[in-house]
Amino acid sequence: MSGKKGVLPPEPMTNDAVAERLVRAARRSMDMGTFQKQNLVYLELNGCSGNIISLLNGRNPDFAYMVNSMVNLRYSNSLMAAEGAQATEKLFEALNEPFILAVEGAVSLRDEGMYNVIGMHERKPLTGLKAARMLGEKADTILAVGACATHGGVSAARPNPSESVGLQNVLPERKLIKLPGCPVNPRWFLGTLAHILLYGEPDTDRLGRPLMFYSTLIHDRCPRRPFFDKGIFAEKLGDPTCLFKLGCRGPVTRTDCPTKEWNSGVNWPIGANTPCIGCAQFGFPDAMEPFISYDTTRVIEDD
Amino acid sequence: MTKRIVVNPLTRISGFMEVDVKVENGQVVDAQTKGNMFRGFEQMLMGRSPFDAIYFTQRICGICSAAHSMASSLALEDALDIEPLEQGRYLRDIIHCCEFLQNHIRHFYQYTLPDFVKIEQNPLFQADHTDFRLPDAATARISRHYFESLTISRRCHEMLAILGGKAPHNHGVFVGGVTTKATAEVVAGLSSILAEVTAFLEEKMVPDVYEVARYYPEYYRLGGGYGNLMSYGVFDRYRDLGTLYVDPLVWTHAGKEPFDETKITENIDRAWYKGTKQTYVPDEEMTEPDRGKASTYSFVKAPRYDGQPMEVGPLARLILSGEYTNGVSAMDRTIARAIEAVKIAGIMKTLLGQLVPDTDVQAKYTIPETAQGRGLTDTTRGGLGHWLKIKDRKLSFYQIITPSTWDFSPADDRGFRGTAEEALMGTPVQNADEPVEIGRILRSFDPCMSCATHVSVSGKPVKTIKVFG
Repeated sequence: MSGKKGVLPPEPMTNDAVAERLVRAARRSMDMGTFQKQNLVYLELNGCSGNIISLLNGRNPDFAYMVNSMVNLRYSNSLMAAEGAQATEKLFEALNEPFILAVEGAVSLRDEGMYNVIGMHERKPLTGLKAARMLGEKADTILAVGACATHGGVSAARPNPSESVGLQNVLPERKLIKLPGCPVNPRWFLGTLAHILLYGEPDTDRLGRPLMFYSTLIHDRCPRRPFFDKGIFAEKLGDPTCLFKLGCRGPVTRTDCPTKEWNSGVNWPIGANTPCIGCAQFGFPDAMEPFISYDTTRVIEDD
Repeated sequence: MTKRIVVNPLTRISGFMEVDVKVENGQVVDAQTKGNMFRGFEQMLMGRSPFDAIYFTQRICGICSAAHSMASSLALEDALDIEPLEQGRYLRDIIHCCEFLQNHIRHFYQYTLPDFVKIEQNPLFQADHTDFRLPDAATARISRHYFESLTISRRCHEMLAILGGKAPHNHGVFVGGVTTKATAEVVAGLSSILAEVTAFLEEKMVPDVYEVARYYPEYYRLGGGYGNLMSYGVFDRYRDLGTLYVDPLVWTHAGKEPFDETKITENIDRAWYKGTKQTYVPDEEMTEPDRGKASTYSFVKAPRYDGQPMEVGPLARLILSGEYTNGVSAMDRTIARAIEAVKIAGIMKTLLGQLVPDTDVQAKYTIPETAQGRGLTDTTRGGLGHWLKIKDRKLSFYQIITPSTWDFSPADDRGFRGTAEEALMGTPVQNADEPVEIGRILRSFDPCMSCATHVSVSGKPVKTIKVFG
């Protein structure tokens, strides 16, 4: 560093230049095999485990690359070979080293967490609530993966019988990186994870969402936008025009679905001639309902 | 000497499950399977738009979400009195095929194999038992297939997304069939991926499952259970094609007979729920969760057919359709999953061959003021039923009985254990500190606890149907 000091032009300090330097440095260390894998604990709480299934659909990088080259996956209810007490032990062992925590599912508060028991420790039920707090307090970085973790999602849908809340509610002091979606698109998770490993935490908006995936409204990049602008609207599902009048939530939902799509980029909901239901927007599902309506101009009655 | 073994969590399943067994003289003498999570979908669905149920209920489960969209759209078609076009059925059933394939591949490689094969190279596969019997060469080959299967199951979800928009939680399945059309591009794309998937199933998955079976032969004698088998039918009763897989059938000690949906009941005697009745038919009662209820141990309820616990799933379907005759055991169940995957790939190919390009199967549907309907179909893990009622154009009742509720029910008020509990009875446990036998047997059923414990809700009256003679 000192050898270059004073040489003109001065070392570039623009964001782009800094980013480029970091990328080069990271590539170099990876090329030399010095890339340090970090520990990852993947916790499933009150939800449908759809986010880890979605993660298995990831591509470039894919799941095999993730577990073999990016992280040491210390705990995953869905995938680890160990079971029972040995599995729970691995969860507690993970606390002894630095780790990144990824959480999918909501935290159920009902009966002190007894509506979501995720294991047994020292002969006592280990609730999702207890695990979320315990691991959340110690983790270096925390990813809230999917709608249930970011804000309660479907697990907390009215009348919320399991008294589920998003992860932030039980970790009020911690900064969370929030990846809403039902499920999360594997690119949003793997891309964010890659950013953390290579360059540190990504820039997020004020709600904690990485800007690289969640900055633009679906509506602004929708390939059916010309139909909207010309006032040509679908009358039923299956129509090839703008789905706005069927209740499409593209105008309020921020993701890169229109350009990157889903499942290796083969399709997305609007590509299937159905409205976006706003699954990646805070407030999903209750604030995004009804998902399907043949006449959004109708009078909405109170419950 | 009695020893108690508790396994919690039972990993490599969907959702959270505990199993609690008593072992005497090295054999299981009592077993309880316990569902350990609760969300309450039936309660959540009250007051929502009936159409939303198709997308909402998929969120019950991330590995079998399309199953719920199938049952929900069938229930709505029943309620709205809509007969979908045959092309709509074909397209929707193709989506269903994709889910079967994704599911079976993931369950065998990601969930089952680590019980039998020491997958190489990663701390994720650090096992807590030592009963690995395959020779090194087979272990290395199957380990490679573990990672290859990740690509293949991902490809299955890509097929699903081509018609369904995305997976999990697809958008394509709807009243009338699907929302997409079979364009030439779609048909060619699906056919091309299907060829790749079929080759993997035939050349790798089926040989791999038989390789495992060769080294663990005692599992042909373990994990049998009652031997009662049930299917609601699937890929069946097409107008021109007839039944490509299995009709609604039941197998009990009395032999094989047609399935009769009026014989289904649910019982909550040993489950964490309260209701106006302990035993009820699906469309009459919704229960409320009550984790403090005495003498109970699970969030799973106990569905029964004619008072009997039933086994559902691939083995039940293959035996009922006459395509498998070896027997009912943990290993037969695991083999059935692989054989069925090949069968499903063949069905999908047949259905693809029936598609008429560019047919629009959608219409503008109207929700009636009041209605009721039910959708029963077999899905990956077995028979799935959705029952719904509509009042003031909104959902006023919803009941879901999932395949894993059939397989992983607790005991009922008549003392019948659940199907998987019964399958554990008599199992020899070699080493109580490493009770690998228990997990192997339970996983042969492919437990989906996210589905089995979705349930709940407030009292609804009540017509009396006498169920037990």
